Amino acid sequence: MIPAAGSLVFIVSLYLVFSEKLNRTIAAAAGAAVMVGLGKLLGFYTEAAAIEAIDFNTLGLLLGMMILVALLEPTGFFQYLAVWAGRLSRGHPIRLLVLLGTVTTVLSMFLDNVTTVVLIAPVTILIGEIVGINPVPLLMAEALLSNTGGVATLVGDPPNVLIASAAGFSFNDFLVYSLPIVAVTWLVALLLLRHLFRAELSVRPTNADAVLHLNPAESLDDRVTAQRVLSVLGVAILFFFLHDRLHLSPSFIALSAAAAALVWVRPAIHETLRRVEWSVLIFFIALFVLVGGLEAAGVLHGLADLVARANGIPPVLFGILLLWIVAILSAVVDNVPITIALIPVIEGLGAAGIEIRPLWWALAFGAGFGGNGTIIGSTANIVVASLSERTRTPITSALWNRRGLPVMLATCAVTSVLYTLLFPLLSR
Amino acid sequence: MIQDCMKRNVVSIPATTTLGETARLFVARHVGLLPVVDENGRPIGMIGLRDMLALALPSFINLIADVDFVHDFGAVESAQPAPEILSRPITAVMRAAITIPENCGLLRAYAMMRQHDLHDIPVVSADGRLVGIASRVDVATAFLAGWEAAKP
Repeated sequence: MIPAAGSLVFIVSLYLVFSEKLNRTIAAAAGAAVMVGLGKLLGFYTEAAAIEAIDFNTLGLLLGMMILVALLEPTGFFQYLAVWAGRLSRGHPIRLLVLLGTVTTVLSMFLDNVTTVVLIAPVTILIGEIVGINPVPLLMAEALLSNTGGVATLVGDPPNVLIASAAGFSFNDFLVYSLPIVAVTWLVALLLLRHLFRAELSVRPTNADAVLHLNPAESLDDRVTAQRVLSVLGVAILFFFLHDRLHLSPSFIALSAAAAALVWVRPAIHETLRRVEWSVLIFFIALFVLVGGLEAAGVLHGLADLVARANGIPPVLFGILLLWIVAILSAVVDNVPITIALIPVIEGLGAAGIEIRPLWWALAFGAGFGGNGTIIGSTANIVVASLSERTRTPITSALWNRRGLPVMLATCAVTSVLYTLLFPLLSR
Repeated sequence: MIQDCMKRNVVSIPATTTLGETARLFVARHVGLLPVVDENGRPIGMIGLRDMLALALPSFINLIADVDFVHDFGAVESAQPAPEILSRPITAVMRAAITIPENCGLLRAYAMMRQHDLHDIPVVSADGRLVGIASRVDVATAFLAGWEAAKP
């Protein structure tokens, strides 16, 4: 009775989140309220337990990084980098693809993926237009490569933050276990994109010199603020490297960095806080409460038991299976609810005596690379597609299936091979 | 009143005009706005230079607010609308007609132009026929002339 009631609330909420009939944050918040209400009525969940279920480490890290990005956004720093990359390419299409893809990837390894793409994509369209080439390959490369690169670091994308918090992984764990695999996968994605878009990229630009007349310095509106925020960000990243040795949580570092940057820049605080994506934070809180209820109702424990009992398959295969299931799910729906729902299941498997360290990595890779599969697979994809709709060459769902889906399949396949080869290392 | 400062020889076009013909008329008559009229001379729409230019402007100017750093528009400079676009009828791209009556006051006329972001505004008679057109310069200088007259 209790597990059934908890499951029902969870499934209906998730259905509403994914159906897009209702905004996902509203659907999750309503679901969380019903879950707590029902839990109190049937005696399986309480307010205290709901608050206990919220992972404040994840929220703090996300909020801290969002504030830093909110300060950096209006300075024009992102534009500056895109313009600089454009000049460096001298208008050559393949060089543009590599340089803009790299800039977007590196930024999104440390900063919010969506903000990065939102600010880089318009400059990309500009460069494509003045040079006289189709910007679609560049836009898709930015989304696909930044999705891929984001898997490399703890702060690179939200599923990683969730996994790190649940598994107790440090920033350096990601650099040791994830970064090398992602580096290879990223290169494969880049080469595949170059091949898939070979026709578009072999078009000679009609006016390549136009990029040389772009002035990066003029695109940087507020040099002083940019320098201050980047200095703080640099120090924060340094602390991320040392956080497990210093016994500091990533969220404490991110929030301290945000506070320091706010004191140094002293912005109009309303403006800055308006740029913080509160709906994302509330979505996370609501999902934590929902999954907490599911756990309290005994559903996830039962599920883990079931998986553990049926688990006759070799651990490597089990990990790869998890990677592909998560990847396929992430291609069609948001990867955050999938990650939040699977975390207690994996923890349950750990309690049942299964080695779960490699499973955490499989979850991270699947959630990260799966988003490349469809035009709605990740927020970055949705952003470049909707920006391109305002140009003369819109990105369609069919185009994404021809060019993005192969990238997802290739990255997941390459990762599966690396996962198998490095399995003993990933289990350590 | 507007009828004292407007131009009376208005260039207007019928609904059957194509975009290409409209472009040629803009060049030949050196005007900023062409009212589109029905067979009775009543405005059914209008098209400005801005609407024509929108067909050639790059997409990025709608995505980036500040384009100071772009010193060379490169390939965009020589971009031309495709022939199939130029052969479309004017009714496909024209905007709704915004007009003022002959007896409209100068300040109201200026405020209308400001509100609708127009540089020229068509003027109609009481029965709705196009009788003139006034530019911002026509309206504003006629208004300032009133100040001169009041000077001691």
